[in-house]
Amino acid sequence: MKIKVKMIGHFIYEAGFSEKELELEKPITASQLLSFINIQEQRPKIIIRNGRAIALDEELEDGDRIAISPIYSGG
Amino acid sequence: MNGWSGNLLRINLSTKSAKKESFTEEFAKTWIGGRGFAIKILWDELKPGIDALNPENKLVIALGPIAGIPAPNTGKTVVAAKSPLTGGYGDGNLGTRVTVELRKAGYDAMIIEGKADSPTYLNIVNDKVEILPANEIWGKGTYDTMDWLYKKYGKAAGILTIGQGGENKVLYAVIRSMEGRSGGRPGIGAVMGSKNLKAIVVKGTKDIPMANPAGMKELGAEDLKKVGAIDKKTGWSIQGTTGVLSWCNEVAALPVRNMRKTSHPDAWKIDGERLNNARVATYGCPNCTMRCGIAIHDHEGRESELDYENIGMLGSNLEIFDLPQVASLNYLCDDYGLDTISAGGVLGFYADAVDRGSIEGDFKFGDAERAKELLRMTAYREGVGDFLAGGTMRMAQKIGRNSMDYAMQVKGLEISAYNCKFIPGMALAFATSPIGAHHKESWVIMFEITQTSRESYGREKAQKVIELQRIRGGMFEFIVACRFPWIELGWDLQHYADYFNKITGMNWTLDDFFKVSDRIYALMKFFWVREFPNWDRTRDYPPKAWFDPSNADKEGPIAGKILEWDKFEKLLDSFYEIRGWDKRGIPTKKTALGLGLAEEAAQVEKYSKLE
Repeated sequence: MKIKVKMIGHFIYEAGFSEKELELEKPITASQLLSFINIQEQRPKIIIRNGRAIALDEELEDGDRIAISPIYSGG
Repeated sequence: MNGWSGNLLRINLSTKSAKKESFTEEFAKTWIGGRGFAIKILWDELKPGIDALNPENKLVIALGPIAGIPAPNTGKTVVAAKSPLTGGYGDGNLGTRVTVELRKAGYDAMIIEGKADSPTYLNIVNDKVEILPANEIWGKGTYDTMDWLYKKYGKAAGILTIGQGGENKVLYAVIRSMEGRSGGRPGIGAVMGSKNLKAIVVKGTKDIPMANPAGMKELGAEDLKKVGAIDKKTGWSIQGTTGVLSWCNEVAALPVRNMRKTSHPDAWKIDGERLNNARVATYGCPNCTMRCGIAIHDHEGRESELDYENIGMLGSNLEIFDLPQVASLNYLCDDYGLDTISAGGVLGFYADAVDRGSIEGDFKFGDAERAKELLRMTAYREGVGDFLAGGTMRMAQKIGRNSMDYAMQVKGLEISAYNCKFIPGMALAFATSPIGAHHKESWVIMFEITQTSRESYGREKAQKVIELQRIRGGMFEFIVACRFPWIELGWDLQHYADYFNKITGMNWTLDDFFKVSDRIYALMKFFWVREFPNWDRTRDYPPKAWFDPSNADKEGPIAGKILEWDKFEKLLDSFYEIRGWDKRGIPTKKTALGLGLAEEAAQVEKYSKLE
């Protein structure tokens, strides 16, 4: 399955990329995605799937757009 | 009194007089400083119903007891007056060396009254106040003005100035300081201009009275280092406030095309990553170790200091996705001394009205060059600039044709860069902000998206808005400090109470601060009610565009969704109920008395009966 992954804020520098398309052999959860792209789980973050915030155990689907972002507070 | 000099400086430009006045310990402990001092002074001293550009208006510049003392982010000052844009209470908060210098000059606030008979500036050095002719700088932009004043008074001087926008009384003209700092969105710069006051220069050399100076010096320095270290570790200031643009684009909250749309495929071109890549300098306020002012070269090669609101309102809201061009628009706003949020809201509304055929005009979304020209015309009130200078509410009143529905403002102040067509709690935050729509009081979007549910209009959202107002629009605005270490880096709120207590020798808890916040919010509301005696809840409504089903996104995560009026009314009811305000949004007698506002309540009753 193919998913698009976008990193936001300081996660760009942690992951080493800003946006890329991933091709995966089988479905994964959000948590597994984080490991796959080498993002430490401890840093506070919000995972957005097609515009909605999701939990770590949510399973991703083909065609998803995932964004990983700091927990903004509106400045 | 530790923490307060107990002095304010009253300057009358009509009589060319300057007087040091003292205030009581009771006043200090009831209103604390900043926004608290400002609302109480304006309430007491302004005659209701005056024209805000009339010499009878007063400009209040107010510090807080921790302001200017080295500690995390204490370099900010509140500027306030009756707003010419909204007709109600107006204020702003900007980083400026005036914070430090005014404290060292021995004042906690300044009140500027009357009107000079010709362009004037002030030079304040401790007890000495000079009222000087400003004919050499009148007509100059804020950058040239500051250069002229720095040459004369040295680079360490504290300077507040206005640009041509303030001189020509554009209703959203602001006060400017340093490289890119500005404040006073609802036309506080226009009030300064209406007094023929071009600039205020301050230098001070006295000690600031503190209960524990040695202890505070050590604590402040240590904490500044700690905050800096957290920033370095988290990498927050790499993109600063601008990182949120990408997030807004993902969750469909970005202002695009006069907030008609919520995201755009080109948004990445003006995002925080692009901005950081183009960075040529970093600027910040005094006493800050997480500086958020990212400067890049604009289209004309000038240094332009950008933050999220600038790129949201002058970029995506106008569908201008050329970062140097957005920087140029921002530079022009800073030089002319115009609020970038309102400028972006005004230009967006204008383009929208033209696009809809509601008005004849030649401005299209995406036209950066024309936008530059329109900003110039606005600053000089030339041609259509005179129309634009009034702000979206007045523009819509003139246009008619239901254009008020899409004038993105509340109480006359343009909404800042969060498109809430499907974010009920944030729509409430904008609706109930005490100066007109502003996100600074309360920002609840993350809470709505992660802690509760986006589609909820539940009481928990009203509760959250008030909780944040107590801190952001209350505490930080009256002790006066920048909230960023707390809100962006998780710097515990308790630290600020500790600074306050160490400096004043008092023993306050956070609840003590929140009580003051509630008092200030109630008095700010009374100020509005006194100015608009037929006050009702309709002035706390967001624009109709956010409730119009035909305005819902056609695609994306919130496709087909829009705010619902009946549900919003209930949410607003929850807000009033929690605050102890009646259904019109006016504090009840019981609430006012509980906050120590018996006198003020008796006064406002002459204008509107309290429940």
